[in-house]
Amino acid sequence: MAAYDGRTVVHTVRPPFHPLLWSFAGFCFVGTLLTDIAYWKTAEMQWANFSAWLVSAGVVLGVVALIVAIVDLLIGRLAGEGASIWAYTLGNLLALVLSVLNAMVHTRDGWTSVVPWGLVLSALVVLILLVTGMLSRWVGYSRGVVVSDV
Amino acid sequence: MSERIRTLTLRASAIALCCALGLGLAGCNDEKFDTQSQIGPNPQLPEPQQYLFPPMHLADVVGWQEGEAPKVAQGLSIKAMASDLAHPRSIYVLPNGDILVIESQGPGVEPVTRPKSVVMGFVESLVTSGGGGGGEGESNRITLLRDADGDGVPETRSVFLDHLKSPFGVALVGSDLYVANTDAIMHYTYSEGQTQITDPGTVLTELPGGPIDHHWTKSLVASRDGSLLYVGVGSNSNITENGMEAEKNRAAIWEVDRATGRWRPFATGLRNPNGLSWEPETGALWTVVNERDELGPNLVPDYMTSVKDGVFYGWPYSYYGQHVDPRVQPQRPDLVAKAIPPDYALSSHVAPLGMTFYTADSLPAKYRGGAFVGEHGSWDRGEFNGYKVVFVPFSGGTPNGKAEDVVTEFLNGDGQARGRPVGVAVDRTGALLIADDVGNTVWRVTPAG
Repeated sequence: MAAYDGRTVVHTVRPPFHPLLWSFAGFCFVGTLLTDIAYWKTAEMQWANFSAWLVSAGVVLGVVALIVAIVDLLIGRLAGEGASIWAYTLGNLLALVLSVLNAMVHTRDGWTSVVPWGLVLSALVVLILLVTGMLSRWVGYSRGVVVSDV
Repeated sequence: MSERIRTLTLRASAIALCCALGLGLAGCNDEKFDTQSQIGPNPQLPEPQQYLFPPMHLADVVGWQEGEAPKVAQGLSIKAMASDLAHPRSIYVLPNGDILVIESQGPGVEPVTRPKSVVMGFVESLVTSGGGGGGEGESNRITLLRDADGDGVPETRSVFLDHLKSPFGVALVGSDLYVANTDAIMHYTYSEGQTQITDPGTVLTELPGGPIDHHWTKSLVASRDGSLLYVGVGSNSNITENGMEAEKNRAAIWEVDRATGRWRPFATGLRNPNGLSWEPETGALWTVVNERDELGPNLVPDYMTSVKDGVFYGWPYSYYGQHVDPRVQPQRPDLVAKAIPPDYALSSHVAPLGMTFYTADSLPAKYRGGAFVGEHGSWDRGEFNGYKVVFVPFSGGTPNGKAEDVVTEFLNGDGQARGRPVGVAVDRTGALLIADDVGNTVWRVTPAG
């Protein structure tokens, strides 16, 4: 990482478009974790139904975000420095893949649609999103990252 | 900073990959399995597997072409008795020989509760919208066929009862005719020779119908002395995924007092009981039951069983006795401890929906005293299972030997459905009748020659 001496004025040049969409997907995935926990604690099917809708909606939004991210990449709006951009991108991709898996686990009937694998996957995805969320401060449009207009 | 995050990310990915692998293994294990090992009193039960999405393998509907018919076992011949019906699901033979064909469609009131409902509905619509064998007109009625000379060609055909609500079971006691709609046992007055009933009928007993109404077919049989009716009430879900409240009084056989309409649960824990019949030697009540889905291609075997008063057969908490189903919460070890295994497995996902004991004597002697079972056929296993009528030999009131194929080739060589058998009955001449709800035909099996 380039040394940040606290004085350099960093311009955010050409921020990417996908984070807005991806954050909507993220809300769905956080919601899935919450309703999964509610089902785990109550065994009330309606919570599992909420989870199934949330994780599916999240996947749909996530796929759209992925397409937009590819466009970002192609038009030079997905830029950043070295390790953080890679960790950000791969982390989010992993979160999306796990969520696809999670949506499928949530098609099961009854208890095992959530406990244990649905719950584990939901929690894992939220953890990854916390990490990539922090990383996003170093990617593309945030301070502390030098972005060159290529 | 970024170094620490990278390590964290890596660790998280490693955990995630392990999970994915574990899930994958649980979902893709489909080795060769001998389905014959699941026919008889002690079926092999593999470990349950859970899918990432249930395999949906439905047969495209092509219907019967001119001159086509199912294949029958040696010594038998088969002919269509009536075609261009609208989803004939069961058959009841009146004392004067008139044949009632119950044409019925599901109530279609199951709500979309999850994205899965949307996806499965879409996949199902792909196959059912294909060219069926005609007869897509009015359903939910009973058609009367009169074949007075017993040659298999009805002289008259009339609409006996119309505007019913997803009817299935029929029982006649004297002049009292009962029709089990999906939401009520209806009573009508019948006089011999009548070819049409216009009376709206009265409700004897209401049955669990909507909302949802997942398993909607209500099988019906009257006790030998005529004082009681037995009615099969299937569950409202595969495995309680619609909530426990939706299962109230379901997955059971009810005993209904014909005089008052009062009922009590006769036997419980039967996921979807149909084909209620009396075993001729012992007079015991028997049923065929559709067991639960999505635990693997070879779980859980559907079965036939004698039904004892007050007995619990496991659904939803367990199958085949004490095999606990992990999908049901809260679990009930107290009920699982009481669950008894059924008498005779018919193989997994064959979907038996009709049964009749053979007490006539026109078919070859080996069929006497045994049971014919109509297997509607599987949807959630890679290889089709069922789609045929089998015969289970009986002796001393219990099954005695392997089920054998009697009527087959409802699927053509390309795995397309020309028809699917449902209800079975025996007509006055001793011929076996089969309701084919996809081929919209009633088939009649007689001795060859």
